[in-house]
Amino acid sequence: MPERRPNRTLGGVHDEFWRFCDQRELRLQQCGNCATFVWPPVEKCEQCGDAGLEWQPVAGTGALMSWATFDYPYHRELPLPWDTILVELEEGPLFVSNPLGFTRDDMEPMMPVSVDFLECEDDAGPFLLPVFRRRPL
Amino acid sequence: MATVPPASTVAGHGPQRQRPSGALISVAGAAGFTKPDRELARTVSIVGVGDSDYAADYRASRAAGPGYVPPDDLSLATIAFERAVADSGLRREDVDGLNTCFMYAPADVGEVCSTLGIHPRYALAEGNIMDDVIPPAVVALASGRCDTIALLYAAAPRAATKRVYGGTTYTDDRGTPVSYYYFTPWGWSSQAAHWAFIFRNYQNVFGATEADLGSIAVALRTHAQRNENAIMRAPLTIDDYLESRYIVRPLHLFDMCLVNNGAVCLILRRTDASTGLPHVPVEVAGWGHAKVSADKMRNLVVERLRPQFDEAGREAFAMAGLSRSDVGLFQGYDASSIHLVDQIEGYGFTDPGTGLEFCQDGQLDLGGSLPTNTSGGMLSEAYMHGWNHVVEAVRQLRHEAGERQVTDVTTSMSSVATTDSAHPLLLTRGG
Repeated sequence: MPERRPNRTLGGVHDEFWRFCDQRELRLQQCGNCATFVWPPVEKCEQCGDAGLEWQPVAGTGALMSWATFDYPYHRELPLPWDTILVELEEGPLFVSNPLGFTRDDMEPMMPVSVDFLECEDDAGPFLLPVFRRRPL
Repeated sequence: MATVPPASTVAGHGPQRQRPSGALISVAGAAGFTKPDRELARTVSIVGVGDSDYAADYRASRAAGPGYVPPDDLSLATIAFERAVADSGLRREDVDGLNTCFMYAPADVGEVCSTLGIHPRYALAEGNIMDDVIPPAVVALASGRCDTIALLYAAAPRAATKRVYGGTTYTDDRGTPVSYYYFTPWGWSSQAAHWAFIFRNYQNVFGATEADLGSIAVALRTHAQRNENAIMRAPLTIDDYLESRYIVRPLHLFDMCLVNNGAVCLILRRTDASTGLPHVPVEVAGWGHAKVSADKMRNLVVERLRPQFDEAGREAFAMAGLSRSDVGLFQGYDASSIHLVDQIEGYGFTDPGTGLEFCQDGQLDLGGSLPTNTSGGMLSEAYMHGWNHVVEAVRQLRHEAGERQVTDVTTSMSSVATTDSAHPLLLTRGG
């Protein structure tokens, strides 16, 4: 049973991101000019303005930079309290996500994590959502 | 004026800013903000201030029974305007410039003018939060487009019949979805989530506790107790803070700014035309602007906009010919307690990681080295998007702040800080 989630932002470059997720692949745009990885998706590189962005597979590993738990119901689809995490990906970008298989009580600064994909659905249909599990050292 | 889709990253509770379309901004600098100009330093002064009855309106709205109709933008703005005109000692007919800044509904300038009984030769509705509202007015006055301008702000979120926030379509000026909308599939939402990420990281890096952060809310509440127009004046202790509910952990209720209906009016003239009025003119001495251009989340959570505060602060001090040590009052954008700490540290008033200790040492109090948000700020006085911070700075610089007066203060820095931009403003006591 897929988890119901608030709607994704779709269209254009955003669809491309989610298509890779559906293949259980985490890819981010990388600038062909300055090599910067960008997240969330953009039309032009934020650093140098170049439009030559390529979807590159990333390692899917990173470290727990920060976290926050919602105790106020901003989204009626989601149970409270609701944990969110900020993962620093090895390629640089900070990625907002959810923990899978652990909770706020387990979190430690710079804890290693790796990506997994969770079956979800929104108004646009089923999709795979990148979330993060604890990664043994 | 055209309604622009809500956008960008204003702190607080939704419907978002409209970027001014440019008619007023003749000397646009970075990201369309008015460029600092030494030639303009102190050429314009604030000569009148007016604000609505925040506390009384808040109580009325909370106690509202069936049939209660909260005041709308225009009725609140009218009150603030009348008070500002009376405060300035000028006549209504003297007001020949107007910028209307209604946060939650576009203003009809014609309707505003006819309600206020003014016929300005220069009128627009391009303002917003107090990020870049005074600088373009300084330009308009200096270039002779008008002689007396009223900057008129109103926010009536509690009167709004239609909630326009939420959803996933809001974009910034690059067409990129605003972060907290973009991350909704992960359940991430609201400005409060940004502040929570910042403070959790601050805890991780500097070892701060929730009780340490609570000192900010307590300090501002103490100030608010000396302000009869502040919405929240009940005594607040660290224990009260710790027992309050979480909104987004690790942040509590008292880390979040208020939501209320209110209005502010500021009246500005050229300084050389500001003599002989009832109050000491308060000169616009300097301003600065800086905006994150890339990697917003890292700049916000990890850097805490330090590069932006540093850059914009330098600009403002250079324009004014002042330095940080001249600042006797700080009025920072306290959408959340932690973001106020970001500013105090970011402008260099204390070192990174020492802001909470600085507060616990009493430095934000009236007798401290940096009295801060002395009317209670947006945490305890009113959430007027930084406009109330300027009103308080004017009252302090006139030495008319009553029992919360900062002794002999002559220079203030007020600051608007969104999730990706910094906008310091330096005011000095004239006369």
